[in-house]
Amino acid sequence: MDQEFMAQVETKVVVPTESPQRGAAAMQLKGVAVSFHGRVAVRDCTFDVTKNRVTSLIGPSGSGKTTLLRALNRLHDLTPGAKVAGQILLEGTDIYRGDITVTELRTRVGMVFQRPNPFPTMSIYENAVSGLRFNGVKKKSILDEAAETSLKSAALWDSVQSRLKVAASNLSGGEQQRLCIARALAMDPEVLLMDEPTSALDPIATLKIEELMTELKKRVTVIIVTHNMQQAARISDDCAFLLMGEDRAGELIEFDTTEKIFNNPIDPRTLDYTLGRFG
Amino acid sequence: MSDMTELAEPVETGHQMRDEIRSISDRSRARRQVRSRIMVVLCAIALSVTAVPLVLLLFQLFNRGLPVVLHTGFYTQLPQTPSLIAPNATGGVSNAILGTLVLTLYASVMAIPVGVLVGVYLAESDSKLAATLRVISQTMAGAPSILMGLFAFSFVVRDLHVGFSAIAGSFALAVLMLPVIVISSEIAVRGVPHTLREAGLALGAKPHKVSMKIVLPAAMTGIVTGIILAISRAIGETAPVLLVIGGGYINSWKPLDPVSALPLSIYENAKSEWPSLRTEVWGIALVLVVFVFVLSLSARIWASRKQQAR
Repeated sequence: MDQEFMAQVETKVVVPTESPQRGAAAMQLKGVAVSFHGRVAVRDCTFDVTKNRVTSLIGPSGSGKTTLLRALNRLHDLTPGAKVAGQILLEGTDIYRGDITVTELRTRVGMVFQRPNPFPTMSIYENAVSGLRFNGVKKKSILDEAAETSLKSAALWDSVQSRLKVAASNLSGGEQQRLCIARALAMDPEVLLMDEPTSALDPIATLKIEELMTELKKRVTVIIVTHNMQQAARISDDCAFLLMGEDRAGELIEFDTTEKIFNNPIDPRTLDYTLGRFG
Repeated sequence: MSDMTELAEPVETGHQMRDEIRSISDRSRARRQVRSRIMVVLCAIALSVTAVPLVLLLFQLFNRGLPVVLHTGFYTQLPQTPSLIAPNATGGVSNAILGTLVLTLYASVMAIPVGVLVGVYLAESDSKLAATLRVISQTMAGAPSILMGLFAFSFVVRDLHVGFSAIAGSFALAVLMLPVIVISSEIAVRGVPHTLREAGLALGAKPHKVSMKIVLPAAMTGIVTGIILAISRAIGETAPVLLVIGGGYINSWKPLDPVSALPLSIYENAKSEWPSLRTEVWGIALVLVVFVFVLSLSARIWASRKQQAR
């Protein structure tokens, strides 16, 4: 079964487009495929994520965007029957087979989830520094500084500065999501993965997060899954378009700059999708 | 012309249907209203059938119990056997009050850590062992409580040669509490959203840290509520302690001493030939009810307070 799966993956690997020349790659995906109990959920993903840019993963439901994203910080590890094939490189190191522990990987590649999920029993401050605490940082001066810096980066400091000890659940949905961003930023990651971070938020909160992303990419590489094509067009620099194949497995159709994907894509299916003809 | 009628017909039918529905509705309205009233009356009767015994019980409890519990001696003195010279000298039940507290304390110390850990394990693991433990605790939860007393009697009192003692009684109560704590802890831990675990893992936390620092605190409300309910169940049990605590007539907190307990005092006093001792039963019952009431009230307050904090 395994060999069959690997063979399938290897034969199907195609680079859809020539990667345009840009800065250095923060992450590289080479023929990445994810399967659950032998059923392929997403395959053929080969593209480079360039440093300090926002890369969006777009495509209709079931095209494997989230599955692919979660492979990038090994969140599938605990799912029974999950298997990731191909190579995912972080600064040249294979994150599944290379010289890097899963804990280290996750401190370098942060994650923001679809629904705001601050830890309900912790205060705003404790949430912001929770990652540092989990990794053994105890010194108060470091924690204080990290809390302030990360909350500032998440554009939350001004509104929560005076109530850091308050339970995180008292914040609004948009503020909670920004707290989750701050929590990820406190680890000073190189890459920030965002899984439809605004799908549970109202338009104003969404706008704030989008503005934030443009600011964030100066110091961190962002990979975002989004259902919202306008959002992808507004905020991302590069864009990967995925689509569900005939065997219900998602696959990469096209990867390019966002501008090209939306204005002048090579594959007609990409054009159909970005024009809203399906999906 | 024929086309016109064909077109007009469905409209006509629509109106007919509407009129017919309305007339049926009008005709049956009176009948439906009567039916509704009958149901309301039936509900009221059912409610009073439920409420009357409860009200009578509480009335009896306070009416007969209050005069007893208003004497300070009731709490501070040891029981006395009335005599013909002093037929009302019943002393107090300090030994039973202390005994109940001690039994519950020891039982909690035994049952809570084990119960919570097993519950967390059941929630986090899907091994065969976990499945077996789950079946065992569910079976234990339904077992008659006298069984725990028999088990404590044969195992602790006899086999381990501990004798009639507080520790034997607490052991029986702990066995009784255990499945309640296991089941409620498992449910509480399972109720913690998966996305919180993932958030912890995504921050580079090791799985055991995620369990201890995120999942367990988030499940604490449910776990504590389960513990309090287990305690309030154990505190009122007579059967498990009846066979093993020895009914000591001294004030003692020592595990190996025979002790008394409130439910046991009720049982023994109720059998007494002295009317004064039989009267005292209601006072003991009142104290017991207050204990249980305070416990379940605090469980509710705790749960709702934590709910609001979320």
